[in-house]
Amino acid sequence: MLFTRGLSRISRTCYCRRQWAFSSLRNNEQQLIQHHNQFLSPSHSSEEVWHFRGIHSLVSSALSGAGQQAPDQSSSVIEEQLDPFSLVADEMSILANNLRSMVVAKVPKLATAAEYFFKMGVEGKRFRPMVLLLMATALNVPISIKPAAATVDTLPTELRSRHQCLAEITEMIHVASLCHDDVLDDADTRRGIGSLNFVMGNKIAVLAGDFLLSRACLALASLRNTEVVTLMATAVQHLVNGETMQMTTSVDQRYNMEYYMQKTYYKTASLISNSCKAIALLAGQSAEVSILAYEYGKNLGLAYQLIDDILDFTGTSTSLGKGSLSDIHHGIITAPILFAMEEFPELRAVVDRGFDNPANVDLALEYDPFSAPYV
Amino acid sequence: MLFARGLTRVARSGYSRSRWILCYNGHQLLRHTNHFPAPIHSSEQVLGCRVIYSWVSSALSGIGKQAHRQSSSVEEQLDPFSLVADELSILANRLRSMVVAEVPKLASAAEYFFKMGVEGKRFRPTVLLLMATALNLPMSRLPPDATVHTSSVELRTRQQCVAEITEMIHVASLLHDDVLDDADTRRGIGSLNFVMGNKLAVLAGDFLLSRACVALASLKNTEVVSLLATVVEHLVTGETMQMSTTSDQRCSMEYYMQKTYYKTASLISNSCKAIALLAGQTTEVSIMAFEYGKNLGLAYQLIDDVLDFTGTSTSLGKGSLSDIRHGIITAPILFAMEEFPELRAVVDQGFDNPVNVDLALEYLGRSRGIQRTRDLARKHANLASAAIDSLPRNDDKDVQRSRRALVELTQRVITRTK
Repeated sequence: MLFTRGLSRISRTCYCRRQWAFSSLRNNEQQLIQHHNQFLSPSHSSEEVWHFRGIHSLVSSALSGAGQQAPDQSSSVIEEQLDPFSLVADEMSILANNLRSMVVAKVPKLATAAEYFFKMGVEGKRFRPMVLLLMATALNVPISIKPAAATVDTLPTELRSRHQCLAEITEMIHVASLCHDDVLDDADTRRGIGSLNFVMGNKIAVLAGDFLLSRACLALASLRNTEVVTLMATAVQHLVNGETMQMTTSVDQRYNMEYYMQKTYYKTASLISNSCKAIALLAGQSAEVSILAYEYGKNLGLAYQLIDDILDFTGTSTSLGKGSLSDIHHGIITAPILFAMEEFPELRAVVDRGFDNPANVDLALEYDPFSAPYV
Repeated sequence: MLFARGLTRVARSGYSRSRWILCYNGHQLLRHTNHFPAPIHSSEQVLGCRVIYSWVSSALSGIGKQAHRQSSSVEEQLDPFSLVADELSILANRLRSMVVAEVPKLASAAEYFFKMGVEGKRFRPTVLLLMATALNLPMSRLPPDATVHTSSVELRTRQQCVAEITEMIHVASLLHDDVLDDADTRRGIGSLNFVMGNKLAVLAGDFLLSRACVALASLKNTEVVSLLATVVEHLVTGETMQMSTTSDQRCSMEYYMQKTYYKTASLISNSCKAIALLAGQTTEVSIMAFEYGKNLGLAYQLIDDVLDFTGTSTSLGKGSLSDIRHGIITAPILFAMEEFPELRAVVDQGFDNPVNVDLALEYLGRSRGIQRTRDLARKHANLASAAIDSLPRNDDKDVQRSRRALVELTQRVITRTK
């Protein structure tokens, strides 16, 4: 993919990258831009406008796999592909080590289960910590604007650790929910290896999830910020709400786009949105800015899940039916089918019959308007 | 039962009773009890006290054991459970209806809220509510002004919240401990039910844990969040300790006591400590509260172990024997193994074979295992009492009564027969 090539080009300038990583630790927005200029040719004079564009192109390049151009890209010719992950790669390995130490348990069986998804090579895309670390830098209050008597944690390094801690908490909550979801879905695999319940049994998978949640809560308490505790508790509650909605839907609810979007918010977007907001709060940002951070996380999460739904049908090809089709085989009706049902009400009868019969799956795919040209 | 009749007498003045619950505040309590029958003395305060005592004692006289700290002959039987029974009903119903209302499919989880403990009562919340009163900071005798009144009601609400959170965590852990592995589900009757039941158990437990998290956050006290998060970690640790022991660990008293602390005592000890912190008590007092909870919990579990062998009788083998049949080695057997090392060979063979169960019981009968367990339970019960005695002096009648009730509980825990 284009941006990995861009990544290796960047990584050749190791010194620059380390400098950037170090200066991001110093949380100085101007330093960030200066070093960033060493990577890519600057195009605009105003640093703020450029920085904003940087973020936009960041988001758009991250999502460019789906082929849609972000509307704001006008200078994409000069700004090369920006790989979000590489911007925070160093910090991410710090996080990975922290996480491994945070989930150590006394009982060997529990320790094995708890660290299962934090071992090297199995950490997954680490999407959420990446977003949060970028958000943390994006929300740095410029030194010139900071009031003389700062009410927030004054040391930038301390603030950065708190932000890193929040990213770790978010990842622990996410993994805990994965452990439980796999039990609820009878999943055999996860992240390319056997699922925890498959390898060690349902019960230890459930207990490991509880353990990770308790460790996340302990870390949360250590931040000594009750608003942040509330936000993350809400996210935890929403994750459960989403799972409950998925397991206990009535027939009408299954075919309802609004219900689906609500469930998607709960299951996917809420964790990112609330943790983005928490980042903003820890940084001492105003309520308005916190809401913007929240909105970013929410919409990013929703976009992510919607594309996930498509990819389940199309896989890496652009034609239908090459994806894993696991949603439809589990009887989970996602956005593409819901839209298709709006156009072809007769599809509902097919869906009602269920998808244990593969002929029904084929029939449903036929109805799907999201065929080759669109995806 | 006598106390049920006592309660109905109370219940008839329904309005007064609900006022009492809402304004759980020493002065208000005394004022409202005037609505109850049979006043004898002129002084309002003395009257209030006497009415409460006679109400409580008529409610309970069945049990028959004098609390060992009774100094006045006027103070009759003190039943810890009745002191907080009404408050508890409200809490339990609130919890249950929250579960049923929000996610009807998880309603079966709600049944766990009515599972009973010591003498058929809701043990943990009782301890916490009594501890809440016992730790009230001394109030002046001035008539309650608005701020004092609100804050003490608010404090009580927050402490009730801790009791609710504790129950949610407890029930969630019961549900998750019951999760079956695939091998077990296949052995089940009607495997689909087992599988579905399994999933609902996981989901219901998660539901309760997440609600507990939200409730914890609402207390806006990160220390309390730490304490109760630690409880969850300990519950999981205790359960996995039980699931995965080596032969040496199974036969180790130290391992067993550690596991027992994690599985039973940690919840009570840490939530007692949380109660103390919310009340604004000092670190020393919080530690006393913690020690009370810890020793009470340990004593409770040790007697539980004995009762599993003896049941309601004092002779061996009349209990349900469910621990030993599940291969769980408890204190009596561990003590017996100290006297009869050959018992270890039997233990190592496991107890799938009922012959081994009988053999173990025989050794146990010849040993002093049961008695030594009771002695250890008594030792912990006494430590719990001592913790209450070390609390800072408070002359408030309600506070003193609650403290006596807490001490009474330590006795109940070790003398109960079920």
